[in-house]
Amino acid sequence: MSINKDTIVAIFLLLFCGIMINSSFDIEDPGYQGMKASFWPTIVLCLLSIMSLVMLVKSMMASTDSNLNSENTNSQNVFLKFKNASICFLMFILFLGFLDYLGMLIGGVLFVFGLLTLLGGFEIKKIINHLIISIITIGIMWSIFTFGLKVILPEGEILRIW
Amino acid sequence: MIDIILQAFASIVLDPVTLGLMLVGTLAGILAGAIPGFTIAMGVILTLPFTFGMTAIQGLATMLGVFVGGFSGGLMSCMLTGIPGTPSSVATTFDGFPLVRSGRPGLALGLGLWSSFFGGMISAVILVALAPQLAFLGLEFGPWDYFSLIIFALTITVSLSGGNITKGLIAGLLGLFAATVGEDEINGVARFTFGFDEFKQGFAFLPVLIGLFAFSQLLTDVEDDKRAKSPLMSQSGSVVKVEHRQAILIILKRWVNLFRSSFIGIFTGILPAAGGSISNILAYDQAKKASPNRSNFGKGEYDGVIAPEAANNATAGGALIMMMALGIPGDIVTAVMLGALMIHNIIPGPTFIQDEPLLAYGVFIAFFVAHFFMVGLQAFSLRIFLLVTKIPMYVLASVILAYCAIGVFALHNVVFDIWVMFFFGVIGYFMKKLGFPLAPMILGVVLGKLAELNLARASGISDDLLLFITRPWSLFFLLMAVISVIFPFYQEARKDSLFSKLYVPMSMIVLSLPLFLMGSPVRMIVATILVLTGVYFLYKRTSSLKTT
Repeated sequence: MSINKDTIVAIFLLLFCGIMINSSFDIEDPGYQGMKASFWPTIVLCLLSIMSLVMLVKSMMASTDSNLNSENTNSQNVFLKFKNASICFLMFILFLGFLDYLGMLIGGVLFVFGLLTLLGGFEIKKIINHLIISIITIGIMWSIFTFGLKVILPEGEILRIW
Repeated sequence: MIDIILQAFASIVLDPVTLGLMLVGTLAGILAGAIPGFTIAMGVILTLPFTFGMTAIQGLATMLGVFVGGFSGGLMSCMLTGIPGTPSSVATTFDGFPLVRSGRPGLALGLGLWSSFFGGMISAVILVALAPQLAFLGLEFGPWDYFSLIIFALTITVSLSGGNITKGLIAGLLGLFAATVGEDEINGVARFTFGFDEFKQGFAFLPVLIGLFAFSQLLTDVEDDKRAKSPLMSQSGSVVKVEHRQAILIILKRWVNLFRSSFIGIFTGILPAAGGSISNILAYDQAKKASPNRSNFGKGEYDGVIAPEAANNATAGGALIMMMALGIPGDIVTAVMLGALMIHNIIPGPTFIQDEPLLAYGVFIAFFVAHFFMVGLQAFSLRIFLLVTKIPMYVLASVILAYCAIGVFALHNVVFDIWVMFFFGVIGYFMKKLGFPLAPMILGVVLGKLAELNLARASGISDDLLLFITRPWSLFFLLMAVISVIFPFYQEARKDSLFSKLYVPMSMIVLSLPLFLMGSPVRMIVATILVLTGVYFLYKRTSSLKTT
């Protein structure tokens, strides 16, 4: 018997199913004839629980995941492996968090510029390129959606006040 | 009928806006197919936000342009650089790249281009002929049959699991669960909202789709620092003049290979979850087996280029047959198209062709037209492709991430949708890292609501559960579902094992039962043929077992 990545995922899935099944008891029953609103989700969650259990058993019967014990798991390697993805996550959260203030146009330009620079490097030439790319691409997209497709994109408080 | 076809024709060919959109769509598809790391599905998904402001037919026509263009786009990169742009052009590399290296790049591109065109045309004719006939069956369907049909479609997840059935099923079930969040469509009761008003509308299809598929893919693409900063392709081709006339003559001389490969493509497209990535290799294999110049394969043999390219474009027509006739997606691209229909308040299903004939015939015509655009745009797109290959991945990823946010916002004009996309993007990224296939989850999201709705309708009409197995169509689809679930085990089983020998004949015999129950003369004949063929195979295979 061993513990590997799949074991942890299966346990997490079982916990998730438990919480959701518990939450399904709170689904209101309006008393209409026919299928209750909680019926289908309960079936899906029960099947998901069964499959998670199967995954748990299979993972425990499998040999130890070498990745868990190998050098891949040391914190520096993990950081390097997920560095760029983490930058994307962080930048996206910042972009969304400030969307109300910056709007889609300024926020989008800053997001693309920030992401390009963080992923691509900080040399002056690159920074200038990144700035040009972000202004042109977001400007074009913003124009297509605003004027072409008549979508009212978030204006942002800065532009509104201005 | 003819007036509908003429109206549909007018709505596509005589409308300059639709034609223009298709033109742009086809160009975008060719580029998406040509760039390694980008897939046709991703191209179609990223096109979806642009279709909100369009009519349903314009939206579908644009996506068809991307779909058709994507299949032929793959041939540019695989021939000029030896790297397949999409999995559906892997086999083209085997002979296309050597043909280019032997000094005939113009002919190689011409063969690929025109094989794609002819393959697409053959499948378009079959699509027009077959889909409406199959769609008549939809009129016989009740909610029990619909539900069983969706269950069958969901079993595709097993085939999409990529070797790990447990993880595939879990992904599919997670997709089904994601579709239950929000107010249910039957009673309007809130589910799993945890007090958040935003959750009441549920997760919109598009943010989930873009998050799971595009967002997570882009994160994966920039994961490796070195790869993210280098140009998309280290090798780059050069602009060549396509030898159209000679290529057409060579293909027409090899018409048997063209038709065989096209039919392989169509059949593979009809099969759920078996797309262009399988058909191109199958067609190549058959072409090689049938060719007198077998030893030339892999060295630039013309048949080795014609077969995979004709097959992969024909696959598109096959996949559309399933989507149009029965309203179930055979792959991610058709799932996205069904999602696009839903955005335009058109519910896909077996009565789609009857309910929306103008739209249905519009799709047929758009499929034809897209192939002409594909040929016309190839030379131009080749130049753009060579420019795009010089852009580093991190630049493309950053810009597309921003585009995803804008596109998703355009759906309902709410920022919550962008958060949903981000959330599912993170989930998709980690699911991929943990070895979960994403395609089953997408199918679950698409089909979840339809499954629940039809189950509710069925239980509302009668609480007799036996109807699911006593109604012939429902029984047929449930049996198909079982056969589909077992199929991966059949693929893995040893060829000389008893299970392997019995699987096909027993499936044929079992499937004849609901056909007999349907009672109509044609279906009785089909059922009889199935039984007789099954019994024949059973006899042959069991007798071979005895002798061994």
